[in-house]
Amino acid sequence: MTVPRLTASLLFASTVLAGAQTWKNLAPESFRANGQINGAAGGAASAIDIRIERYTTDTEHAPIEAALKAGGYDAFLAELKKAPPIGAVTIGPRSFTVRWAREQRNGDSRRIVVVTDAPVFFAGAGAVDAKPTAGYGVAVLEFTVDSVGLGSGTMAPAARVKPGGPTGVQVDDYSGKRVTLMTVTRNLS
Amino acid sequence: MRLLPSATRRFARRGAAAVLLAAAIAPVRASPQKKPTAPEVFNGRATIASAAGRGDAYVTIRVDRYSAPKDVKSMEQALRDGGSTAFVHALRQAPVVGRFEVGTQTFAIRWARQRDAGGKRMISLVTDAPVYFVGGGVPDAKSREGFDVAVIQLLLDPSGLGDGTMAAAARVKPGEAGVDVEAYEGDPVKLLSIMRKVT
Repeated sequence: MTVPRLTASLLFASTVLAGAQTWKNLAPESFRANGQINGAAGGAASAIDIRIERYTTDTEHAPIEAALKAGGYDAFLAELKKAPPIGAVTIGPRSFTVRWAREQRNGDSRRIVVVTDAPVFFAGAGAVDAKPTAGYGVAVLEFTVDSVGLGSGTMAPAARVKPGGPTGVQVDDYSGKRVTLMTVTRNLS
Repeated sequence: MRLLPSATRRFARRGAAAVLLAAAIAPVRASPQKKPTAPEVFNGRATIASAAGRGDAYVTIRVDRYSAPKDVKSMEQALRDGGSTAFVHALRQAPVVGRFEVGTQTFAIRWARQRDAGGKRMISLVTDAPVYFVGGGVPDAKSREGFDVAVIQLLLDPSGLGDGTMAAAARVKPGEAGVDVEAYEGDPVKLLSIMRKVT
């Protein structure tokens, strides 16, 4: 089985981060996305609200990155949960705390990565023969929006993060298939 | 483009009209139509919607035969005497009478009954295992204990079209009306656009 990797690199790499948070900060801001996932049996869709009060500072980011490098996923998760809440991901009546959010400008667009401190949904876990859900302790959302505030992305609704891969950070998703975030829209405030 | 001479076309039109007329008269003289029964196949769409989103899947139901009265009797007796656990035990001893298919997965049907419901067909099916725990993917999902079967109910008109419901993971209990079906997902999944496949 191939291990799906979130190619986003989560903006963890210090080289990327150095200049990433320096330009005009648009937070607090919120986005609405239409999440879709398809399989052999059918498909599901859901409206997802993403609220970012502020982005993670370099000072807050450093210990999380260090924990991942030194202690792996468990250390990363422990450090993430110490970080202050800076937003929420909401699906229907359920809300999940965002403790890590970074943005990176690329021309006229922004790439935004958000990590919650708990899994949002175990896609496919309703199957009778579903694999155990333990060890997938976060959700990772990555999306790109243009200068108008429109874009798209993906979500690993139940994931674990580990060091490795070409970017230094690898995201494994529980289901092996990521949710597609269609028509991400920045809400007007 | 002309394919037939005009006289032949007129004959063809009259011929077609005669066939239609004969077809219209035919049911009056023919013996009563045979009621559809197993083996039969139904296709449809399972759909569920909640505040969190919506999901859809295409399903196929194959009924090879309807359960024999003696098998039904023993399952009903087990339910009355021993409750849900005894019913599941008796169900799993009963012969396979059909299959429920969704995606690449197949589930054995061991209870299949049909009855008349005001000119429509009411078909009840029970699989010997749960099909899917709808909502089972949320982090704090409730226990799956005791939800050991799936219960499907179809209501079809005489042409073989209809809809239905499915408790994709269910617990069957004795109740005031004889049988109570508790669905894991709370509200049963809707089965839409059910169509009896013409073979």
